[in-house]
Amino acid sequence: MKIISLNTEQAPPISVPLRFFTAAPLFLLLAALTLVSGADNPFADIHSPALLAATHCITLGFMAMIMLGAIQQILPVVIGSSMPASRLTSWLTFLPLLSGALLLPAGFLLGKPVLLDLAWPILGLAFITFISAGLISLARAPAHNATKTAILLSILALGGAIALGMLLAHGYATGSLLPYAKLATAHISLSLGGWVLLLIVGVSYQVVPMFQLTPNYPKWLGNGLAPAIFIVLLLILLSLLLEPMPHWVAIVVQGLFWLLAGCFAVATLWLQSKRRRRVADATLSFFRLGMMALLCAALLAFATLFFPENDRLGTVSAVLFLLGFAMSLMYGMLYKIVPFLVWFHLFRGGVKRGVPNMKEVIPETWMWRHLWLHRSTLLAALFAPWWNAAAWLVSLGLLLQGMLLGYALLIAIAVYRRTLVRIEEDLP
Amino acid sequence: MQTIAEFMSANHHACDEAFAVAEQAALANNWSEAETAFNNFRTELAKHFRMEEDELFPTLVSAGGPAGPVQVMRMEHAQMNTLIEQMAGTLTRQDAQGYGGLSETLLIVMQQHNLKEEQMLYPIADHFLASQREALLGHMRVE
Repeated sequence: MKIISLNTEQAPPISVPLRFFTAAPLFLLLAALTLVSGADNPFADIHSPALLAATHCITLGFMAMIMLGAIQQILPVVIGSSMPASRLTSWLTFLPLLSGALLLPAGFLLGKPVLLDLAWPILGLAFITFISAGLISLARAPAHNATKTAILLSILALGGAIALGMLLAHGYATGSLLPYAKLATAHISLSLGGWVLLLIVGVSYQVVPMFQLTPNYPKWLGNGLAPAIFIVLLLILLSLLLEPMPHWVAIVVQGLFWLLAGCFAVATLWLQSKRRRRVADATLSFFRLGMMALLCAALLAFATLFFPENDRLGTVSAVLFLLGFAMSLMYGMLYKIVPFLVWFHLFRGGVKRGVPNMKEVIPETWMWRHLWLHRSTLLAALFAPWWNAAAWLVSLGLLLQGMLLGYALLIAIAVYRRTLVRIEEDLP
Repeated sequence: MQTIAEFMSANHHACDEAFAVAEQAALANNWSEAETAFNNFRTELAKHFRMEEDELFPTLVSAGGPAGPVQVMRMEHAQMNTLIEQMAGTLTRQDAQGYGGLSETLLIVMQQHNLKEEQMLYPIADHFLASQREALLGHMRVE
């Protein structure tokens, strides 16, 4: 048994995760502005440059920003091992991710190949640094659990997603002849179905029971789900090599993927219904909204398998996955992680009196307001492909959400700084 | 035979249960029930800490187990005890908001502490203390 590396006090400095978290809301504002930049409704055409740009603002600038920041914080707790050289790793992921997440959507929106050609190596640097640090951390981890497996598979899927993304961006920039549709399908499958879903699955195994005192996920599900999802993703990639791909193959492999994703949503909702902690909690509500959205995304994806000519159903399913599922969970996690970090880093200094408790860091009323705003945005997004006014409402919703989240995070930082100054003044 | 990990994890769950009952009563402003439930929780948790600090940790360290992580666990116990003292104050003042904020904080501290013990420290203890497990569990049961 490895015990040398067991070190339970390895939290990185508070500035590491907060740097990532505070940059993320800016990309919601950019996504909102991008969506309203064109004359047409961007949701009506899944290939519209504005939708492509806004999607990457959200996936890279918002989601990846939060996920990369949160993982550096969460790894020591869930697998007992932190990232190597936390400050350096943090800067080498944060700065290139920030610049790449600005350049790539700008390249799509303005149709400038030079921006795309600048973006992909920079984003490559961010993710290669993160993936290498993540793999080292996993290799050193003393814990052997389902979370570790899921995070490992998630990082492997990220590696594939990034390689394909770099190839696609380079291809667009240089006008190379590439099978774009198939590469894009593989890129989306690995990034959303692999990296995002597997990471959420792995982290949920730990935080769902932890935040609400629910029973644990059943052992067979915990051990089997992430590998099963990963294998199905590999089958999806293999099926893309078939030329032409029989329709039944698509139904089987994609159907299997959505069945597994749906099982995860149902299992999580079921566990949450069995929770021992029955007090109102914004994080719980964000998680439940997310799981219900994942379930609806799965049902709609099934529908698109049988009505493939209806492009817009697919758009709604993707919107439900991204905005409904992934984004809700990130909000839920942030509203627990940030107040805890502020408390933890103040309290760790040995000061016991006058340290604000978690509910004094970000007022709960803001979290509930955010939940309602997010629900309304999501509702509008369901109608956006058909109704132009709804597309405008989605942009407005994202804009307000970016402002609200940014404000909540700045309040948290202000509370931290104010308390720190007071503590220092109180010292003899 | 029950392992140390199984026995101690079950004990964590009993503490969680008592925690949840107390929190719900306090947030519902049901102060007499909250006080009983809180005292029950405090007693359960104190007993759990004693089992670890008086029996498990010293036995583990003297058997060559890792001293650093054990020290961190003790420090986290102290953190939780401070929060519990502050919660007792809000209970006396019947301050539901204050109690809720502190119990939210305690929950996260307690759960991530439990996670580290259940996934790392207890399995290490089972590994190092295999031959003395029966006796150790016996001592902890009478705490």
